[in-house]
Amino acid sequence: MKNVIEIQNLTKTYGSLTAVDNLSFRVKEGELFAFLGVNGAGKSTTINIMCSALQKDSGSVIINGNNIDTDSDKVKNDIGVVFQGSVLDKSLTVLDNLQSRGALYSLHGKELRQRIDEVARLLDFSDLLKRTVGKLSGGQRRRIDVARALIHKPKILILDEPTTGLDPQTRSLLWKVISSLQKSENMTVFLTTHYMEEAADADYVVILDSGKISAEGTPYELKTKWARDTLTLYGVDSERVEGLGIPFERLGDGYKLYVSSPLEAKTIVVENGFDDFELAKGKMDDVFLAVTGRALNGGEAQ
Amino acid sequence: MRTFLSLTRRNIKLFFSDKGMFFTSLITPLILLVLYATFLGNVYRDSLISSMPEGITIPDRIADSVVAGQLISSILAVSCVTVAFCSNMLMVQDKATGVRRDLDVTPVSPAILSLSYYFASFISTLVICFTATAACLAYASALDSYIGLNDVLMLLVDVVLLSLFGTALSSIINYFLSTQGQISAVGSIISSCYGFICGAYMPISQFSPALQKIISFLPGTYGTSLVRNHAMSSTLDEMETAGVPVELIDEVKKTFDLNVSFNGDVVSLKGMYLILALTVALLIGVYVLINVMGNRKEKR
Repeated sequence: MKNVIEIQNLTKTYGSLTAVDNLSFRVKEGELFAFLGVNGAGKSTTINIMCSALQKDSGSVIINGNNIDTDSDKVKNDIGVVFQGSVLDKSLTVLDNLQSRGALYSLHGKELRQRIDEVARLLDFSDLLKRTVGKLSGGQRRRIDVARALIHKPKILILDEPTTGLDPQTRSLLWKVISSLQKSENMTVFLTTHYMEEAADADYVVILDSGKISAEGTPYELKTKWARDTLTLYGVDSERVEGLGIPFERLGDGYKLYVSSPLEAKTIVVENGFDDFELAKGKMDDVFLAVTGRALNGGEAQ
Repeated sequence: MRTFLSLTRRNIKLFFSDKGMFFTSLITPLILLVLYATFLGNVYRDSLISSMPEGITIPDRIADSVVAGQLISSILAVSCVTVAFCSNMLMVQDKATGVRRDLDVTPVSPAILSLSYYFASFISTLVICFTATAACLAYASALDSYIGLNDVLMLLVDVVLLSLFGTALSSIINYFLSTQGQISAVGSIISSCYGFICGAYMPISQFSPALQKIISFLPGTYGTSLVRNHAMSSTLDEMETAGVPVELIDEVKKTFDLNVSFNGDVVSLKGMYLILALTVALLIGVYVLINVMGNRKEKR
């Protein structure tokens, strides 16, 4: 797989504040890439530079083979952005919005109308085309935001906290569509999110702190390195668990033990004859907490 | 070109979808018309009749026609600029709501984007000012004023030119604003001041010579004079037919700013058109330039 995003030694400062500090990473074509960090970590600055909406101080950014310094229009054509908040015209209809935005990518007439129908079918909002955006529910509006980002068939979809505040049903629909696009059109998805379960599904994760990469890898690699697996034992009494000499905590009907590896868990289970147990990998929340020293819960850094 | 037209269509739709914004813009010239007609019409009429030398009386219809010409020309000269400030809010709103970020991540150039705001605002201003012109002409017609078809057509040309000017001026000023509050404040200042400095509320001839000199450098002055000429020329012709001496008619022309001097020379109608057209071209050029330069600066 080729690299569709190549960022090398990217630096951006605002006065004495270094928002992005010599950042380098690559994103492979067709992958779901999670870009994590607390507020102010440098995520939005990096995204703005990638979209040519902000100038960098130094470093290079290559998107789909095009340098943002020399081919920013080509880069803009390759990128679709779903912003944190809706940036559509609330007093216009969905159709008007998509038509006016499509025209910005030189899509007009029949071709544009066909594309609008296509994304409307894809995101299941054909019945909303004549409705005014301001009168839609949050979830409906978010689907239109995604449709707007997809209107010109971008190679890279940047999702800046796309599901914050959405109901589970809409979140699920959005992810279904995004995953399907990823597969059918080999579209690269660049995601920032505060929901760690979304990051857990990514192909590759970068965690940013103070403009620098604190950790990166696949979710499996990160969990293995930064989070401990847990073994939960059921149907045992506390004396047997205490006898293991491993730190544990009481959890409803069972006892949760932190183990260093699945092998250790297997040894404990086999040697002690436990027959009702559950082994779970560490979570991305634990990874994030371990890497940054802070947790991300439902959109707030703590 | 199609991208430009599509963006312009979007901007116009947004303006007219906000009924409040449309009616607020429209109501200003209509209120001015009602206020002028109710409170100032008789004052102007009495002042005109009393200013006539002994032995010369002008027929009531001509007196009413002079007053109507002065009123509607004042309203239209002011409205084309103040309405432009009211209708040219979208570029500020787009910044405030974050929509501009969405437009900036697309390959459309800042020049196209800025021109689409300009052109849409011009169309909106024109629609409102043509509506105001229709109301003014209805008022003039009710007074049985002397306004020929040719005057009406030229009046429409003046309104187009003044709307282009007002929109260009408001585009440059509004470019530097970023909130709704700022734009309302600027709109209020312009509404209250512009009428005076363009000679609409008070004839320039009544200002001090130093002030007249300064005002002669402002292009809006010539816009007002153009509207005045076309709103009153038929009436002045009628005055001549009614036997009013030419010298007196010339004095009336001077008093009502139909003749405006620059550096001691009376500027012809063609000269006024040229000044206004060049000013519009210059202002649009400056507006596009600050958008292109500003776009680069904002990225830093």
